[in-house]
Amino acid sequence: MDFRLSQEEESLRKRVEEFVRDELIPLEPEFENAPDVFEGSRWKSRARLSGDPEINRYIEIMETLERKAEAAGLWHLDVPKAYGGLEVSNVAMIAVTEELEKSKIPFEFGTHVSNILYNCKGEQIDRFLWPCIRGEKTSAFGLSEPASGADPSMLQTTATPDGDDFVINGTKMFPTFADVADFVQLFARLPGTKGREGVTCFLVERGTPGYRVTRSIATIAGTEPCELVFENCRVPKTQMLGEVGKGWELNQAWLGARRFQVGIRSHGMSQSVLRAVADLLRHDAKEAERWTSAIGFFLGELEALRSLTYLGAWKADQQADVRTEAAQVKLFATELLHRVIDFALEVAGPSALRKRGAIARVFRHARSRRIVEGPSEIQRHIIQRSLFREGVGILDLI
Amino acid sequence: MPSVPAVPAVQVVPIVNKTSDVMDLRLSEEENLIQRTAARFVDQELLTREGAYLKQKALFLPPGSPERRNLDPETRKTLIQLAKEVGLWALEFPDDPETPAMSAVARVLIHREFGRTILPFEPACLPALMGQSPYVKPLNDGQLSLSLAFGQLHKTGTLQGIETHFRELPDGYVLSHSQFDVFEPEADLYLFPAREEGSDRAGLFLLERSTSGLSISEKEDLTTDAEVARMTLTYCKVRREQLLGYEYDVAALTAFEQLRIAARSLGIGMRCLADSIEHARQRVTFGRPLASRQAIQWMLADLSVNLRTSTWLALEAAWRADHELPFFRAAALAKKRAAKMAFEAADTAIQIHGGYGVCKEFPFEGFYREARMLRLLYGREDELDRAAGERFIQEGNRH
Repeated sequence: MDFRLSQEEESLRKRVEEFVRDELIPLEPEFENAPDVFEGSRWKSRARLSGDPEINRYIEIMETLERKAEAAGLWHLDVPKAYGGLEVSNVAMIAVTEELEKSKIPFEFGTHVSNILYNCKGEQIDRFLWPCIRGEKTSAFGLSEPASGADPSMLQTTATPDGDDFVINGTKMFPTFADVADFVQLFARLPGTKGREGVTCFLVERGTPGYRVTRSIATIAGTEPCELVFENCRVPKTQMLGEVGKGWELNQAWLGARRFQVGIRSHGMSQSVLRAVADLLRHDAKEAERWTSAIGFFLGELEALRSLTYLGAWKADQQADVRTEAAQVKLFATELLHRVIDFALEVAGPSALRKRGAIARVFRHARSRRIVEGPSEIQRHIIQRSLFREGVGILDLI
Repeated sequence: MPSVPAVPAVQVVPIVNKTSDVMDLRLSEEENLIQRTAARFVDQELLTREGAYLKQKALFLPPGSPERRNLDPETRKTLIQLAKEVGLWALEFPDDPETPAMSAVARVLIHREFGRTILPFEPACLPALMGQSPYVKPLNDGQLSLSLAFGQLHKTGTLQGIETHFRELPDGYVLSHSQFDVFEPEADLYLFPAREEGSDRAGLFLLERSTSGLSISEKEDLTTDAEVARMTLTYCKVRREQLLGYEYDVAALTAFEQLRIAARSLGIGMRCLADSIEHARQRVTFGRPLASRQAIQWMLADLSVNLRTSTWLALEAAWRADHELPFFRAAALAKKRAAKMAFEAADTAIQIHGGYGVCKEFPFEGFYREARMLRLLYGREDELDRAAGERFIQEGNRH
């Protein structure tokens, strides 16, 4: 047993640590009052929508950083080697994100490539996958519907085969960035199928007749997910991703891979919130005395989250089935972040609810995390299911 | 025979103005009428306008956090008129001098109903000690607005936090240099507590926005649909009649604010619980309605207990105020519990509504932001708990 990173992973982590120290942290004063539009890895496409010169200035700063990262060989870390990426391990990606989270600059090493797009075949590769890797195109993820989320049996959007095409009808709720995405990874079911059986994934480009992004929806987080409508939208069979009826597995794979990032991101956000609290307390001995043990408690909880996250990522690297670990990380991470913010606000008081304040921002952004990509109740359900199926064996050391 | 320690006799504390011989937790006929009137007003005039208020103004939104929501002035005017017609306006100083001021219990019942909607509209309710002020009429008519600049009190919920001092001058008073946050900064008048130099007793001042030496700066949006700003006082001189009251008045005003927050929180809790029950009945997942899932049932069961306990604490505190019994601690406890309950209710409603829960077209995320703020006003939870614990350690609970 060895808790250290491998040499390769450690050297990557070190380089990222240096990049964060030399390139990102010095920019922090500049980002102190940055507009609230740099959330998530597809920020650029949405930020451009604003047309605000102030925002454009930030976009330029971020693009300069991207070029520096590329020059330093810190680009496309999780892209497979076959596509020119570094294909680093899940553990390494956690270590990288952990370093990135030490700065307040919302920067990532690489463009957003939805992991299920590596199932692209034939001409799909040039049309969808490569442009995403090169950062020329972005995608949205169309799964949830007005009456369905975590449960595939409620999915109502249909894909009816008709000659060489499928005809798609239905409504999708909440895909983020769909208003700027070049295409959507759309999940629909074949007529007459039930449950997860028959759920199939399609790649549908914006501008395809019958496909409309009808609106974006304001949320507490300031991210604006969209509503998509498909009315007799004809999509050729060649735009089916993966196999017929295997869509739900793709969805599971997409979710699974992201879970461990959620863990380390929540860890980083919680740390930044606690740092803001410490800054308030450092010069107030009486107040500091009052809250010290609570901060210590949360630091311990965060350490627990960190180790749970590394464990899950490591198991994923061993090609083990990590669905339970992923659920545990998602649940523990997002619920802990919620508690940390609640605590921070108790310490900082009502003035900390200034909209642009660091804690207030996390307060708004964090709320949806306990819902998106599977609410806490679903995570608990997944965990209990494997406990009752496999017993305490799921906790066995391997 | 070993002596058995005598059980201390239960001390019955005589209650001032007690009119009946038995405990009676029913609302009086009048209270009942007030509650029904308020409920009907909220149902007919406010909830019917909520959809339009929450509706997104444009199909597509620019990136970044959406603008602060506001009730448009025309609607506000209409609503004030409608509220006046049914007697739900100027609760402390009714236009008709024959009408008595509303009791604290009645005010809790009213604010509780108004809390059921996210529409930012509440009946005007000026503090009783403004009785002599020439501002009462224009305030009640909505021509002027009043804000409580109690920023220094939010931490402890007690007078301990007051740092500004005042000193008597031949023709009035002068307030010491100070700076603090003021919520609802856009007002014409502010009520502001300060401490007298030497005696250290608190005094309550009515400050006009135009008072020289008073400035409002750095106005910013809060994460609730409200504003905050810095109020700075620099050699701020006030006239004699601007000192409205002393120690007790500041504490009583704080307690009445705590009661108002508690009552509004109860409304938030009622709405969130009701809508969650309804949604849980409708929403089917994995072949069954959410309502059939124990995880959901238990959330709602816990919430209902919390709501009920908070309701009775608030009503009892208000009843004590009406009967001239000590009620400050009861009001503080009612506020602490009710605001926390409201936050948890909003959190639960968001969770049960899933993705819709965090959407601005539904009221729950707004309640969530608001309730988080309410929890931090007039005494933070930890401070109130600590004060109660300290008293217990000092005095025991045999009182």
